[in-house]
Amino acid sequence: MSIVLIAARQEIKSLRREKLAQALLIVFVGMVSLSSFIGWLTKKNVTAIWQKVKYQGLTTAPNPFANVPDLYYLRNTVIYLVLIGALLAIVLGVASILRDRKAHTADLILTRPIDSRSYLLGKLMGIGLWLTTILGFVTLISWMSIALIIGKALAFGDSLHLVAFFAMSLIFLLGFVLLGMICALYSSRETNALLLPISLWSIITFVLPQLGTADHPVSLLNPVPAIANQGGAFSILNSVFSPLSTTEQFKKASSSILGNPDFIGSPTVGITVLALALMVGTFVLLTSKRDRLRRTLDE
Amino acid sequence: MNNTFVIFRKELLDVRRNKFLLLLLTFTLLAVLVSILVSALDFRVKIYAYNKYVSALHSAGSTTVPAPPQLFPLQLLRGSIEYLEILGALFSIVLGYGMIAKEKQKATLGLIFTRPIGRYQFAAGKILALAWTWFLAVLTIFAVVTAVVAIIGNSPLHAIDLYRLLITAGLSWIYLLLWSALAMGLASYTRELGISLVASIVLWLSVVLILPQIGDTMDPDNQVPGGLFNSLQISKKNEVAVLANFAGFDKVRNGIEVSSITKHYERSTFAYLGIKDKFNQKPVSFAFSGTLPNLLSLIFGFFGVILFAILITTRKRLLRR
Repeated sequence: MSIVLIAARQEIKSLRREKLAQALLIVFVGMVSLSSFIGWLTKKNVTAIWQKVKYQGLTTAPNPFANVPDLYYLRNTVIYLVLIGALLAIVLGVASILRDRKAHTADLILTRPIDSRSYLLGKLMGIGLWLTTILGFVTLISWMSIALIIGKALAFGDSLHLVAFFAMSLIFLLGFVLLGMICALYSSRETNALLLPISLWSIITFVLPQLGTADHPVSLLNPVPAIANQGGAFSILNSVFSPLSTTEQFKKASSSILGNPDFIGSPTVGITVLALALMVGTFVLLTSKRDRLRRTLDE
Repeated sequence: MNNTFVIFRKELLDVRRNKFLLLLLTFTLLAVLVSILVSALDFRVKIYAYNKYVSALHSAGSTTVPAPPQLFPLQLLRGSIEYLEILGALFSIVLGYGMIAKEKQKATLGLIFTRPIGRYQFAAGKILALAWTWFLAVLTIFAVVTAVVAIIGNSPLHAIDLYRLLITAGLSWIYLLLWSALAMGLASYTRELGISLVASIVLWLSVVLILPQIGDTMDPDNQVPGGLFNSLQISKKNEVAVLANFAGFDKVRNGIEVSSITKHYERSTFAYLGIKDKFNQKPVSFAFSGTLPNLLSLIFGFFGVILFAILITTRKRLLRR
């Protein structure tokens, strides 16, 4: 068996023992399962409000939710992927590298004629397979929840969009896995290894989009992508920083794939940015010196 | 010298030597400042758009002049408070967790407890150090923020504005210390350090991000860009009357929001700074009475967590195997 597959298999085995990853996984799956229900409850409430207002003759506007697509119920899932999913991915990446550095297993493994790039690629592949299984499970839960809400099976086209959305989510999450792995390779302390990627995540999620849109941090947790502020220096800031915020790009591409009526645009730019982030991350990881894996932690 | 004071002094020395912590605090300060600058820039864009609109009206021969956008300098702090809510809480966890983690990792606890230290002196020294560290950090952040807001606002801040900033700084100190004490208590409570870090991060994620987000998502007015009631062209008076028929749903939504201590901090500070229009340019006493339940929840939560940290961080629990 090739070293990539052996490392991948070992990584999957080790992931079962990661407590933080397991805790975040439970929160993630729980919230994704609840997300369709929250969406359904909110839509029901808004429709009831609209009916009341219409009955009292206070409005002639149509029900804003009259023609929302069936995949509308997934809009909160996008945010849970940005919040919980990305943090879970970071933790998986950090744990994968720190486990070896703390136990000095890399010292032993690298005495063998093993290419460190194959070893690191195997680890990434193991996490990727683990995430694929989780996302596959989450896709199934989402499909069943929506089918339950709309009272019929989801149309074939919508089902394809659902699968495409979760496939893109995998690319998005792998970017954060790589961020975690790289930070863990280059940090000298365990706490820093975890905090550095989380700080970078907060910059990507809150600071960069704020620079181009003037939106406040909490508003950026809205599933609807932030709209660029067109005045002053914002247009320039947005063109510079927007491609760097993978979370906003993910939100935009998701809105497009899920047919969010509040968003007009194609998912191509978003998917390209996510794929580029994945490629750059993989390049940085695989070009890291093998000594990085063997460096002892300071604490 | 009193044992509590010895531990307090030693902790301050450690904090001063911790470069990574300094980096995190600097990062928080920068995020807070960037947010103010972006809000100020956004206001300038609005003024520019207003002037353009007015000159277009004049060119068209209209004599009507719409009201210009008004700058309330303290409202520029909205994003900054939100950064303290999110990043501040996370970095507080790191500080509180580190207070116990370093002792467990370096196995210094056995040595410390060979000395005749009182039951709660160890915990008291650590919490005092956390309190002092956050006092200095909050003081620095708010001093810089006050200066920047005064410069950007292009007018000196009045005594009442400084008073509002002082109250907000006090509430921020309570909020940040609460998270540090919680992480310290959890690190003392669990045998394995990893578990306490897991619990702290999952709590942070749930309390700071997920619960407020669920409440926000369930708000009917947040369902349509620009607001549901605006899109339906419903006046504020009718909006209140209509929503009275959906009190049950709103109670559940509000219940989810107020189960997060972060929301209490946010509602209180937004009221004192006049970020919420309802409290803008109103006396401090109005903000106080309007958000008293939030203030009390924050204070009770704070004392509860401090008590938890003191009662848990004892020799018996720390030295158990």
